[in-house]
Amino acid sequence: MRVGWLSAVMAAACGLPDGEFFGRVPEVTEPRRLRYCNSKEPEAIDPALATTTTAMKITHVLFDGLTIYDQHGLPEASLATGWDVSEDLRTYTFHLRDGARWSNGRAITAWDVAYQVIRVVHPLTASPNADNLGTLKNARGYLARRVFVLRRPVGPYPAGELVEQADKGEAVRVDLRASSGPLALRDLGAAAGTAYAWVAAGREVALVMTTGGRASLRSPDARAWAYVFDATGDGVYGWVPAVELDREPRGDVAIAVRRVAANALPGDRTAEAARPVVTARGRDLLVTPDVLGIAVPDARTIVFENAEPTPYFVGLSNNRALRPTPIEAVSRWPRRWTEPGRIVTSGPMTLTAWRERDAIVVDRSATYWNPGDVRLDRITFFAMDDQAAAANFYFTGGCDAVAANNIPSTYLPALLGPGGKSRYADFRTEPYLGIYFAYLNTEKLANRHLRRALAFAVDRAQIPRFTQGNEIPTAQLTPGTPISSLDVADLAACGVAHETRGVALIMTKGALCYVPPPGLDYNLVAAQAELAQARVELGAAFPTRLSYRYNAGTEVHKQIAEYLQAAWARIGLTVDLEAQEWKTFVADTRAGRYELARFGSIGNLPDTESEFLPLFRCGAPDNRSRYCNPAFEQLLEQARPVRDRVARNAILRRAEQVMIEDAPVIPLYVYTQKHLQKPYVRDLASNPVDQPPLWRAWLDPAWRSHR
Amino acid sequence: MIQFVAARLFGGLGVIAAVATVCFFLLRAAPGGPFDSEARMSPEIQHSLEERYHLRDPLWRQYAAYMAGLAHGDLGQSIKRPQTVNELIAAHFPVSATIGLCALGMAIGLGMTMGVEAARRHNRWPDHGLMALALIGISIPSFVVGPMLVSLVSVRLGWLPPVRIDGPSGYVLPAITLGLIYTGVIARLARAGLLEVLGQDFVRTARAKGLAERVVVWKHALRLGVLPVVTYLGPATAALISGSLVVEKVFQVPGLGFYFVNSIADRDYPVLTGVFVFYVAILVALNLVVDLVHSWLDPRIAQRNR
Repeated sequence: MRVGWLSAVMAAACGLPDGEFFGRVPEVTEPRRLRYCNSKEPEAIDPALATTTTAMKITHVLFDGLTIYDQHGLPEASLATGWDVSEDLRTYTFHLRDGARWSNGRAITAWDVAYQVIRVVHPLTASPNADNLGTLKNARGYLARRVFVLRRPVGPYPAGELVEQADKGEAVRVDLRASSGPLALRDLGAAAGTAYAWVAAGREVALVMTTGGRASLRSPDARAWAYVFDATGDGVYGWVPAVELDREPRGDVAIAVRRVAANALPGDRTAEAARPVVTARGRDLLVTPDVLGIAVPDARTIVFENAEPTPYFVGLSNNRALRPTPIEAVSRWPRRWTEPGRIVTSGPMTLTAWRERDAIVVDRSATYWNPGDVRLDRITFFAMDDQAAAANFYFTGGCDAVAANNIPSTYLPALLGPGGKSRYADFRTEPYLGIYFAYLNTEKLANRHLRRALAFAVDRAQIPRFTQGNEIPTAQLTPGTPISSLDVADLAACGVAHETRGVALIMTKGALCYVPPPGLDYNLVAAQAELAQARVELGAAFPTRLSYRYNAGTEVHKQIAEYLQAAWARIGLTVDLEAQEWKTFVADTRAGRYELARFGSIGNLPDTESEFLPLFRCGAPDNRSRYCNPAFEQLLEQARPVRDRVARNAILRRAEQVMIEDAPVIPLYVYTQKHLQKPYVRDLASNPVDQPPLWRAWLDPAWRSHR
Repeated sequence: MIQFVAARLFGGLGVIAAVATVCFFLLRAAPGGPFDSEARMSPEIQHSLEERYHLRDPLWRQYAAYMAGLAHGDLGQSIKRPQTVNELIAAHFPVSATIGLCALGMAIGLGMTMGVEAARRHNRWPDHGLMALALIGISIPSFVVGPMLVSLVSVRLGWLPPVRIDGPSGYVLPAITLGLIYTGVIARLARAGLLEVLGQDFVRTARAKGLAERVVVWKHALRLGVLPVVTYLGPATAALISGSLVVEKVFQVPGLGFYFVNSIADRDYPVLTGVFVFYVAILVALNLVVDLVHSWLDPRIAQRNR
């Protein structure tokens, strides 16, 4: 539930505060402590489970990555000192630094990274971030429990062959093992006496991995060890000597399998013939992370193998899904290891206190490899569930900075003056890597001309007048920075002139840039022409009324819906508005039960190929407009193997052009980030993905004299 | 008496089971699920998430498992948080209860005083004035009172913190915001109850034998006059101590009220059912207490309950 009127009352009661700054500016007494008004309680801080920008801000100060987000939102080497990319853009080899340590003193190795990958794509973890690793070889099949290693020859396949379940039926569990004696779950190589959990004799556990695999930890002694999961209660993971475990699952299920289609193209008949379907027994199959496209040749090297060319993989390397988590803590308390006292961290900060729905306190880590980079001793993240409360707390000097957009929209008219100029020196807006748009269900609105008419009829330039957050109106799908605000180096990288309209996406600062095609911007004449064409083609089937859906509870969605309704009325189309509760709205739009609906998309990394264009691929799970165009598909496939990124962007641009001309979507504006930061806060830069390196900030007690 | 209490307790268990059942099925009948979001999620992940929370089991089995847990006092595992529902309640109920009891103290103290004073000066200007105040207290919703208090007391005057409970001063504004409506209701109930009693024969007798008016009102009349207030206090206390979303939002208080609303939007089935069951349990218990207090205040009621 949103309490928008709260802030309306608030604003009315408050009036416009005078002065250069919004509210009080307290004296800085603790320059190394930042009080940050975050939004909401984070759903999790475990990198495998955190999904929102709110949670990730905390996750990213606690957990280091191969790379981290720099001030432009681009990857910056951190745990990895460098990387090699194979010629075919499939294989990425990262080299880890020496001397990186967990907060418990243990060295961070490539195995820790591999463990995180295995954990994120393992079905028992149920990680919502597993999709971020979806490009890795067999990651999806592993997650669905449908890829196995053959333990003995079956039909034409030798032992060791990778096979997948051939039918569409439910996956069968072949990873369950029992033991004749009780199992002492412990750390790898530890004596049975140091066990932290016991599994009763005969109780089935899930076998996750064994030592000696391509990416699993090495056995510390000559024996093979197995890593198992006992699902009792909260669940617990642990290592046991492999001999203590039954070698095979109980029972005798039959599963139709065939060799995995590693690199075969869909529809390739010869490849199909080379992988006949055979029936295997459960005991013939092993579920193991060895099927995944990861390998650890040594403690300082990790290799990622993608099923397809994946040019944006380096951009994924700062993603939470690839930030290692500590096996010793995760194993003991799989759901609850991130509580203070249990958590082991790797980043610049470590967790000190977590008061649910109130505050999370993190302090400087004593073991972080780059202490000179950490300017703060403490960050307190306040969980501000209500935007008005966050703004009020900032106003009275309770926090030093407010997380992007945790400011009520009713305050914006007071914060921004005419022309979108900030009234206060401590308030600013910046572009965000996100786009607000309206989906058109291409199954219900199958006529292309009708869709194009709808797109041409909307004058986006008027929208910021009532959204009032300096939003950047655009008809382009891929969000970015307004070209008019780029510096000379970026303009050169984009190959456009300063006066060019629209936005451009900076992919490497001053070096690589993507300029999305202009799209179907406001043009009433074109709209009328398309509409006339649609009337001719559809005849009696021309719809008399259309319906536009939005999720209830947020004022801006309603305003935009009404604005669109008016815009479409001007070309003679009657559109009914329907507000829906959020979950129902999400389920209905996903199932295609709508004609027009508002939506938005926020990117994780500045790359349209991985973040925005996939929304329109045939059969993609979140292709809400149910768009499917072979020309678009073909261009995306054509771009895949192209190593030269400028040439690649050119193809992607053509793909986006094809798609946007078909109008399965009407982009409206690029989201903006709204920041409130006290004037004494230094080096708290924002980046387009809203993941600033917070630990580099500091508070300047002498800020008044430094102005 | 013991029989009466036992019967009421048994009936209460039935009510709790019924509420749990209705909650359980109503929520699952609502469209969408806990893992629907705008972010893309492949069917494999959805599948493994649903498996983890047993959402793929047949509904009757989920229901049987839930009721079996409930019988042991286990309210289940939250889907959106790492904690169990029992832990969530244990962590957030004390906050709500503290604010609720402060508000209750204010409502009883201030409300009773206003009611008694108004009744004693029936139809004179203090009566009209106090009842007008009470009406204002009842009519202004807490989502208006809260932000206005913040704006005036915290933002303008800087006397109290605008948000968060960081020491005792943090309880003041939330308790006032929460208690205002109840103060008004109690004042009106106390006035009406007392007026009815003040006209009765035993009061005239008490006055006739020369007792001080203070003793007549506060000792003799109020004992019966307070009955409507006591009846009201049962559900009122349950509502006060189980948290209020508005107060928690305005003042950023980590109380229990949040879960009554947010777990619906999250489709966090166990949490929603859990907090409702908890609330109903409090309500049943407090209504029993109210009945017992009634018997004590008015022995005629005890006679009937026997």
